[in-house]
Amino acid sequence: MLTYTLKRLAVAIPTLLLLIVVSFLLMHAAPGGPFTAERELPPQVLANLNAKYGLDDPLWKQILTYVWNVVTGFDFGPSFIYKDRTVNEIIAQGFPVTLTYGLLSFAVAVVVGVSLGIAAAVRHNSALDYAAVGVSIGAQVLPNFVMAPILVLVFTLWLGWLPGGGWQGPEYWILPVVALSTSFMASIARITRSSMLEVLTQNHIRTARAKGLPEHRVILRHALKPALLPVISYLGPAFVGMITGSVVVDIYFSTGGIGKAFVDSALNRDYAVMMGVTILMGALTIFFNLVVDLAYAWIDPKIRY
Amino acid sequence: MALLEITDLSVTFDTDDGPVHAVSNLSLSVEKGETLGIVGESGSGKSQTAFALLGLLARNGRASGSVRFDGQEILGATTKEMNRLRADRMAIVFQDPMTSLNPYMRISDQMAEVLTLHRGMGKREAVSEAVRMLDAVRIPSARDRIRLYPHEFSGGMRQRVMIAMALLCQPDLLVADEPTTALDVTVQAQIMDLLDDLQKEFGMATILITHDLGVVAGFCERVVVLYGGRVMEEGPTDPLFARPTHPYTRGLLAAVPRVDDADAKMRAIPGAPPDMADPPPGCPFRPRCDFAGDDCLRMPPLEPFDRNRARACRRPVAEVAP
Repeated sequence: MLTYTLKRLAVAIPTLLLLIVVSFLLMHAAPGGPFTAERELPPQVLANLNAKYGLDDPLWKQILTYVWNVVTGFDFGPSFIYKDRTVNEIIAQGFPVTLTYGLLSFAVAVVVGVSLGIAAAVRHNSALDYAAVGVSIGAQVLPNFVMAPILVLVFTLWLGWLPGGGWQGPEYWILPVVALSTSFMASIARITRSSMLEVLTQNHIRTARAKGLPEHRVILRHALKPALLPVISYLGPAFVGMITGSVVVDIYFSTGGIGKAFVDSALNRDYAVMMGVTILMGALTIFFNLVVDLAYAWIDPKIRY
Repeated sequence: MALLEITDLSVTFDTDDGPVHAVSNLSLSVEKGETLGIVGESGSGKSQTAFALLGLLARNGRASGSVRFDGQEILGATTKEMNRLRADRMAIVFQDPMTSLNPYMRISDQMAEVLTLHRGMGKREAVSEAVRMLDAVRIPSARDRIRLYPHEFSGGMRQRVMIAMALLCQPDLLVADEPTTALDVTVQAQIMDLLDDLQKEFGMATILITHDLGVVAGFCERVVVLYGGRVMEEGPTDPLFARPTHPYTRGLLAAVPRVDDADAKMRAIPGAPPDMADPPPGCPFRPRCDFAGDDCLRMPPLEPFDRNRARACRRPVAEVAP
């Protein structure tokens, strides 16, 4: 298992390099540049700017320089738009915010989703089951960009219970987390419910009951692990979905997370910020998928790496 | 007093196509330490009888009638009450050892939890007790193998694990539901030998459910023959096999393939078992029976005859078994 983990981490390095090169090329292939403005700059100014940021070098040299700086100094360079800020500073400012509500949303989605799914499966065809299924279908068809304004409308404007934007304390976390987690929570609840229902018909569950185990032990000790396998497979895509969802959250709730920086950098052609955030998200995704695979192996003893 | 007393047990499943009557008005009893065989072909209600005893019917299944275990009525018992009996006083070995063990747990954990639950043992003590039981079912180097997962065992070895798990608390009643059906023939013989030895060693009453008449002959003192969810005939094994008195039992025994006669044809009973969602009126065997008459349209009662024998047939014994 340890060798497998190390191998996967080793494979992550070329994957990341590939990600850097492809993103870099795509970024430069798109027409326009960071200094394209409505009023054109004098050619001399433009040339100076390009020289300052190394944009007059051939592309291969730009890539090599960039990778070299990232690898040796963890230096993602200066922002092309904000004159006195480096990419590292922008990430250091926004990332903790994104990480906070991201992890919270993830935890809420998994814990609430799995619990709801189990409860619905155990009380199959009861009022609770129908309610859970109804709620999760409702929540699933409400994408976060619809959810977010509705939440602000209800809880900030009408009820006045919660702040509708900003990032100054735990009460500011609630609406972003609800907006980001709800649809994933709903999907997880539905996946858990159907897989739990299936597991509960399996022969080894009958064996567990024949042992005289109380029902909660049958569910938690014998049925939960196999029922979670499809949920775990879903967590990979869910994680990526949350990254894109963080853009919506940052925009609606002015949370100041990295998602906003990501979108702004793309709109402003802030090459350095765009690359920095891409690499960060790419690395997180790779790491998270590794965690998912390890979790799979932990649950299913037939999978051994 | 009999250890197990089943009276008028009926098991019905609610399906989308209407109720399916898996078992109808079944009565039988098992004495302490007795070995009883329940035989019948697929769909005759054998396994559902076993599940009903332990309260393990599927969600859509309902049981009615009476099941008394050691004097206590257990048919309407709550799950909590049943859990006190399960594995501790009545244990079951299932048909398919490949799927009946939890593939996600070590054997040690699966076995130890029975003892921690019913005997209040600590984990370490429970595991060493489990190792002793694996030794008893002749699993080589049990001390090391108990840490393995089910998929690391062969089918025969898994069934040994199931048997060991069922015997951990030395139950008064062991229900073996087709314990060898899913196994190779050579492994079948080993498992039956093992069960026979263990039964003699521990002295628990055993209900052996099977469609294999040879297995019954070698293992059981008494046999109940089921067809279409009803008892056709019952009695002590040797006399019943020597002189079957129900047309169905006769057909069943005549259908046993003979190894010593190479030219003999397989003599199957013509026709197919009844569809239990739409059972024929009266005796379920009537549509396939050579002796059937109009009086068979009413289910004949199970009537005692001879010594300790009973049969449910309108035709006199002398006519069916000359």
